[in-house]
Amino acid sequence: MLAEYLPVLVFLSVGFAMAILMLLLGSLLSPRRPGEAKDSPFECGFEAFGDARMKFDVRYYLVAILFIIFDLEIAFLFPWAVVLDKIGLFGLIAMGIFLGILIIGFIYEWKKGALEWE
Amino acid sequence: MTFELFIFYVFSAVTLFSAVGVVTARNPVYAALFLILAFFTSAATWVLLEAEFLGVVLVLVYVGAVMVLFLFVIMMLDINIDTLKEGFTRYMPIGILVAVAVAAEMILVMKSKTFDRPIPEAAPLDSSNTEAIGEILYTEYVYPFEIAAVILVVAIIAAIALTLRRREGVKKQDQGAQIRTRKEDRLRIVKMKTEAKQGER
Amino acid sequence: MFMSFTTATLIPMQFAIPDFAPAIPEIFLLAGTCLVLLVDLFLKDSNRYITYLLSQTVLLITAYLVISGINDVSMAEALQTTGKASLTTFSEMFVLDPMSQVLKVSILLITVGVFVYSRPYLKTRQMFKGEYFTLGMFAVLGMMIMVSAKTMLVIYLGLELLSLAMYAMVAFRRNDGRASEAGMKYFVLGAIASGMLLYGMSIIYGVTGSLHLDHIDSFMMGHNVMTNMGLLLGLSFVLVGLGFKLGVVPFHMWVPDVYDGSPTAVTLFLGTAPKIAAFAMMFRLLVEGLDEMLLGWQQILSLLAALSLFIGNVVAIAQTNIKRMLAYSTISHMGFVLLGILAGTEVGYASSMFYIITYSIVAMGAFGIIILLSRDGYEADRLIDLQGLSSRHPWYAFMMMLFLFSMAGVPPTVGFYAKLSVLKAVVGAEVVWLAVFAVVMSVIGAYYYLRAIKLMYFDQPDEFVGDEELLVPAKSGFDFKLLLSVNGLSVLALGILPGALMSLCVLAVEASL
Repeated sequence: MLAEYLPVLVFLSVGFAMAILMLLLGSLLSPRRPGEAKDSPFECGFEAFGDARMKFDVRYYLVAILFIIFDLEIAFLFPWAVVLDKIGLFGLIAMGIFLGILIIGFIYEWKKGALEWE
Repeated sequence: MTFELFIFYVFSAVTLFSAVGVVTARNPVYAALFLILAFFTSAATWVLLEAEFLGVVLVLVYVGAVMVLFLFVIMMLDINIDTLKEGFTRYMPIGILVAVAVAAEMILVMKSKTFDRPIPEAAPLDSSNTEAIGEILYTEYVYPFEIAAVILVVAIIAAIALTLRRREGVKKQDQGAQIRTRKEDRLRIVKMKTEAKQGER
Repeated sequence: MFMSFTTATLIPMQFAIPDFAPAIPEIFLLAGTCLVLLVDLFLKDSNRYITYLLSQTVLLITAYLVISGINDVSMAEALQTTGKASLTTFSEMFVLDPMSQVLKVSILLITVGVFVYSRPYLKTRQMFKGEYFTLGMFAVLGMMIMVSAKTMLVIYLGLELLSLAMYAMVAFRRNDGRASEAGMKYFVLGAIASGMLLYGMSIIYGVTGSLHLDHIDSFMMGHNVMTNMGLLLGLSFVLVGLGFKLGVVPFHMWVPDVYDGSPTAVTLFLGTAPKIAAFAMMFRLLVEGLDEMLLGWQQILSLLAALSLFIGNVVAIAQTNIKRMLAYSTISHMGFVLLGILAGTEVGYASSMFYIITYSIVAMGAFGIIILLSRDGYEADRLIDLQGLSSRHPWYAFMMMLFLFSMAGVPPTVGFYAKLSVLKAVVGAEVVWLAVFAVVMSVIGAYYYLRAIKLMYFDQPDEFVGDEELLVPAKSGFDFKLLLSVNGLSVLALGILPGALMSLCVLAVEASL
């Protein structure tokens, strides 16, 4: 079984080696002449004022957390789909209830306007 | 040492390295990226155990969704790294103490060989871990499975109740209303008397 | 095949369709909560009382379903086949026994009371939203799942369902810095405790090879568990998680801050029903699952109980805020509950169960009084707010006196009997030093309860608190006042006639073991 993953492993190691090689070559071959003007930060010609990072809106967080919930729901669908013919009607109904409960959550978030981007 | 074992050690070493990186990285964004690396290599370890489904889910859910959330939170909080560092050195002795205690306990447990249970029968070569999970998750474990759905719904409600804010004075289009408008809504015909010319009163 | 379901595919593999009958109350509560959630979405703010009434109806019907759940026939069958008065279903993950019935009914009725008490509080503070009730009902569902859990997996899931709802409720007043801080503390510490519990459970699973409490128990019977390092480590991690959820010293740091910071309506909920569920969790895990390690957890619990009694009672003296004082008082009461458990006898478990149920009733009343005295923009949560209560509201002062007497353990209130029965069990288990210590600590604790009573009866409201509005009779609904009176009198009635509830607890414990 595990042997089937050999190509993945080869791919991983080649990718890893490639990345290291590129970075290494870049740092070895490129000319580097640092100067005071080059090293100092600037913003469109001005002296830098303030941090480059700024606060994100809390709405991104809400979208992300709602995404996680439905992402998890999808994770439950994979093994279900694989064995659907073995677990029969009971499994189908079990997943139906699971999705039904989550759909109620979905109706809630839709009606509350959590999916709107005002 | 078999090749498999070698691979295991490589991935474990990377996991440990990145886990230490999560704690020690100066920049919280780097810490989050280290955490992603740790998740990736853990997923690789699970694939080595032939738990492909769990490995894929780890990447899908944690790297794909949870880490995005983490990064959002890091950005959202606008953490001051210097104040964070202060706490780090201050609480370091306690942290090390706890870590040593837990490590000592683990070593004791490992040495006492309590986990020496009969090795379960190896699954046949053509069996699939995903199928094995599916076969019991939706039948024997249907009760915890449905509870999981309820927990997810509570998470939805909690997240919305705590973060959703109505914004006042937001200007936005309502396409439905735009399409539904009739002539009467927009056009008002005002009857006016013809204005007399000035001076003709 | 997928398209043609026959009876053969209806019952897949060797899996038998579970019997849903024992879980009908839970299923009904889930359906009812979802209904409330959906109905609330389509209501205007002025019609929010419909949500409230619907929630109460669902809870009461659920309580009725729990009571009528075990009929004598199925119970007799179960007794004959398994020798136990309990029904299990869902691959033995769910258990319905007399203990779970008693605890579930208590949880449901207390939650009904909590909702009655919180309504005026929420209304005057623009917090009268559907989420309070739906989250509360989901929390109740989590508690019921915990109470009926027979495997560690389900215990954990029920606990998470309860905790998740509670975290959100604590931070419900999200524009209030203190409430957000309380929510944050509760969440972070709660998550760590859940992690500890889960780690302990996973170690126990690793050693015994099962998540099911009965299988764990039977595995341990054949092994020398007290020298097994893995099990000891697992046990200690489980105890840390339990200790946190119960709020016993040294895992108590969150209790005062969360009690104080959250809105009183949420504190009221937090301090009552979840305690019963935490008791059930402890009983299932320690007594049903890890019974063979009695000697191990007995020692640890003795230490936790002694520390809780000491810290809870001594630190409460220094408090000037009633909510904080009641928080420390909760810590000491949880110490008493631990005493009953660590006695390791059926009488001990039963008295512990009696203690936790009656404590929840008393705590509900005490928080009810705080809500009664508060006004919009003014929380009557300082101790001096009680000053001269007897001249303002003699009847409520009397009720509050009953609650405080009961917490202090003064006869003839129920607290006295509860403390007495726990102490008898501890003496019976020959842990006399702990019993003596508990008595001494109760005497110290009586000081701050009596101080509050003195404030109510012998002091006049001074100018500082004597603002006009406080002298006006409380403007709460009839249901609120009626329930408060019933609540106070029940404390007295249970204290005079504790026999019925106590024998119910004894029966429940006997049937579960």
